[in-house]
Amino acid sequence: MSRRSPFAVRGSPDGVRGAVGPPVLLAVIGVVVALLFPAVATGYWIRVVSNIFMYGAMAQSLNIMAGFTGYADFGNTVFFGLGAYGTALLTSKAGLPVVPAVVLGALVGVVLASLMGLPLLRLRGHYFAIATIGVLEAAREIIANVPFFGGGMGITLPISTGAPEAFYGFIYYVLFAVIMAYIGITWWLSRSKFGYALRAIKADEEAAAVMGIHTTRYKIRAWRLSAFCTGIVGGIYAYWLNFIEPPIVFDIMISIKVWLIMLLGGAGTILGPLFGAIILEMLQAVIWGQFLRGHMLILGAVIVLVVIFMPAGFMDLVRKRFSLRAVLADLRANKI
Amino acid sequence: MNLQSLINGLLLGGVYACVGIGFSLVWGVANVINLTHGALIMLGAYVTFWAFRLGGIDPFLAIPLAMASMAVIGYAIQRFLVNYVVKIGVFMTLILTFGLQLVLIDSALFAFTGDYRSVTPSYAGAGFDLGGAVIPYIRIGIFAVGLLLTWLLHLFMTYTKTGNAIRATALNKEAAQLVGVNIGHIYAVTFALGAALAGAAGAMLSTLYAVTPVMGNPMLGKAFVIACLGGLGNMWGSLVGGLVLGLAETAGAGLIGPSFQQAISFGLLVLILAIRPEGIVGKKFFAEVKT
Amino acid sequence: MPHASLLVPKVSEMALLEVQGVTRRFGGLPAVDDLSFAVNEGEILGIIGPNGAGKTTLLNLISALLPVSAGTILFRGRPITGMPPHAIAEMGVARTFQIVKPLKGLTVRENVAVGAMFGQRNGGLPTRPALAKADEVLEFVALGARASAAVTSLTIADRKRLELARALAMEPALLLLDEVMAGLNAKEVEWAMGLIQQVNRRGVTILVIEHVMKAIMGISHRILVLHHGRRIALGTPPEVAADTTVVEAYLGRGYAERQRAGA
Repeated sequence: MSRRSPFAVRGSPDGVRGAVGPPVLLAVIGVVVALLFPAVATGYWIRVVSNIFMYGAMAQSLNIMAGFTGYADFGNTVFFGLGAYGTALLTSKAGLPVVPAVVLGALVGVVLASLMGLPLLRLRGHYFAIATIGVLEAAREIIANVPFFGGGMGITLPISTGAPEAFYGFIYYVLFAVIMAYIGITWWLSRSKFGYALRAIKADEEAAAVMGIHTTRYKIRAWRLSAFCTGIVGGIYAYWLNFIEPPIVFDIMISIKVWLIMLLGGAGTILGPLFGAIILEMLQAVIWGQFLRGHMLILGAVIVLVVIFMPAGFMDLVRKRFSLRAVLADLRANKI
Repeated sequence: MNLQSLINGLLLGGVYACVGIGFSLVWGVANVINLTHGALIMLGAYVTFWAFRLGGIDPFLAIPLAMASMAVIGYAIQRFLVNYVVKIGVFMTLILTFGLQLVLIDSALFAFTGDYRSVTPSYAGAGFDLGGAVIPYIRIGIFAVGLLLTWLLHLFMTYTKTGNAIRATALNKEAAQLVGVNIGHIYAVTFALGAALAGAAGAMLSTLYAVTPVMGNPMLGKAFVIACLGGLGNMWGSLVGGLVLGLAETAGAGLIGPSFQQAISFGLLVLILAIRPEGIVGKKFFAEVKT
Repeated sequence: MPHASLLVPKVSEMALLEVQGVTRRFGGLPAVDDLSFAVNEGEILGIIGPNGAGKTTLLNLISALLPVSAGTILFRGRPITGMPPHAIAEMGVARTFQIVKPLKGLTVRENVAVGAMFGQRNGGLPTRPALAKADEVLEFVALGARASAAVTSLTIADRKRLELARALAMEPALLLLDEVMAGLNAKEVEWAMGLIQQVNRRGVTILVIEHVMKAIMGISHRILVLHHGRRIALGTPPEVAADTTVVEAYLGRGYAERQRAGA
């Protein structure tokens, strides 16, 4: 069993049976359960599952750039923040209704991706990752220090009318729809020409170029798509939270969590990000519930264990049928 | 920019150079982005603090102690954890060291509590006058130590067998293996070296800033900038990078306002990567830019 | 193996590719030095030369993975120097790499399909037809049985076939082959020679870099000999084999003089 990169795409139309497509029945059951869930659950658990959908959606968006195209966008959260701020400003200061505000907010991120694309997409590997972190941090500092954006005081969004339960239920279904849509986008990517271009770029950019793929154009398009998807989530988050300030939405910890989720589930897979979100959120709910102190320590220990024992993610573990021998064999193969 | 600002910037740069050099070394040689660097700085600071508090040892004299203790920890981290993940890619090492860093910081929180500690030797706050500008003893001491460490590192890399093995590994891993270098061990030694340098930085920082479990975090961010500015694995480059950052932050604080200090350092980072990823001093073939 | 000139009568006098005064310097050293030649439409042009002669650099210059330091390259009369690699691919130029570059994470079939999706002159095929086309091409290079395999499971010989298949799926007018026969045994070399000639009969102009002398002498209409980045001979295989400058470059001046004395 050769050492497997954590970034292999599964579920391609070519029928490489490495794919773990859950039996359709399970998927349908899952959807039905998700739809009925708010009727039976408490507010706390509705919020937990809403978080799962939200982080899953973020991870799917990141997947487009990192899992498919192979560019390690560690500062991906900048689009989340711009979406949040765009929505907040447009609703509170320009009086726009929520839906167009969220879309326009997401478009701000698209503009940024287009501007950053040319200089930064020339970089590879960790240089690109560092540059995106720099952009995220710089954005936070700039927005925090410019009065028009509310500065350190943040922005309060206009409160929606209606009972809080109805509101949180509404957010739940919106986020559910979003992650379903993003899974759909990822599925489309796995079988479309655009997706193949991205995967070729990730595999070998030089080879892709001599095969006729306009690498720069496709990379920027991928980044725009990733930015837009992330921005939508940011806008919804702002509306959900009602109040945002720079350290909340331009937080590198969000990036780290989203990356962790993507890797946990399996980068470049279709369902990986969703499963990663489920696992991590449940873990957090359990840990935060049980331990008052030491969350960071446990989270850190979990991360270390995951990276060492399941670097290709949960989907890969499923594919190996959770065989301990396979895991240990891979571990030995990976050792320097 | 007046003389005092210039001197402040350079001295700050000296501090930053100490912070960045270990990080840049590990990244450049083993392609490991060591996110525990900040935590190791913090632990080095605590070693110094306890040496000072319990043994009355002067912080500058405690530097070897901090370096040795961090070297041991660093070797173990690389040999028994990171070495299992290096082959997969730099991002896995990033995530791994991130998780480790959480463990280290939280453990420090448990062991030492979050109380602010400080190391205040008798000469703290004193300085001498140079043309109207004040140069604090501690800061010039740190600057001197930074230069010394860089020079010692240079000697080590050039004239010792291990140092040459490290350089060989950085240039061509496979070729180094063919001539008998044990890569796993060399990576661990490199990491230990980087950790030792972090320990030294921590020892010196304990005299400037409050010693708390989270003191290393902002330093980590700066280490990134310094490594990129100076070119990965380039020791003198880290010195230059540190100085540039120190000067830029001081000048920026003067021009735009102190609250933009962070924005400046990150803006600088993005700028250098967009324009010249191999760093100010770095050689082009270490950079990963596509034509 | 019958000589190439007996098999393919269709070499035109039209130059498909023209290299004019091309130089490429690395630092102070010219890897390719004021090189000029033309490739006629429909021919197989072999490129030989001692190691370091600049052969792969030449391919990199033509496919625009490297910029020229001086000179022009024309394709169908149009200058292509300065164009990005994907644009040159779209004009109908495909290449293989000496050190093969399979697209990991994609199956063999998908690898080839990518060539059909993006490299064809009319803009490329959509996914499904491209996958079907890939199957066709894989049959042609005798890799059909491994179509659904992951590329990492292929042997070196199979990876070379994959490399070739990917280039063929682009339906190029000009095919650049970089040492496709390295590492193949005698039987595989014979097979590769036949394949290349078949492709040529379909109307594809081919530039072949090769070290396997028997093969390249056997299939090329003309041969270009490079040494230290300069052209030292260009002619039919018999002409080149008899050229003392070529012999000298490969075997040394002493041998060449002995040959001259003996002839």
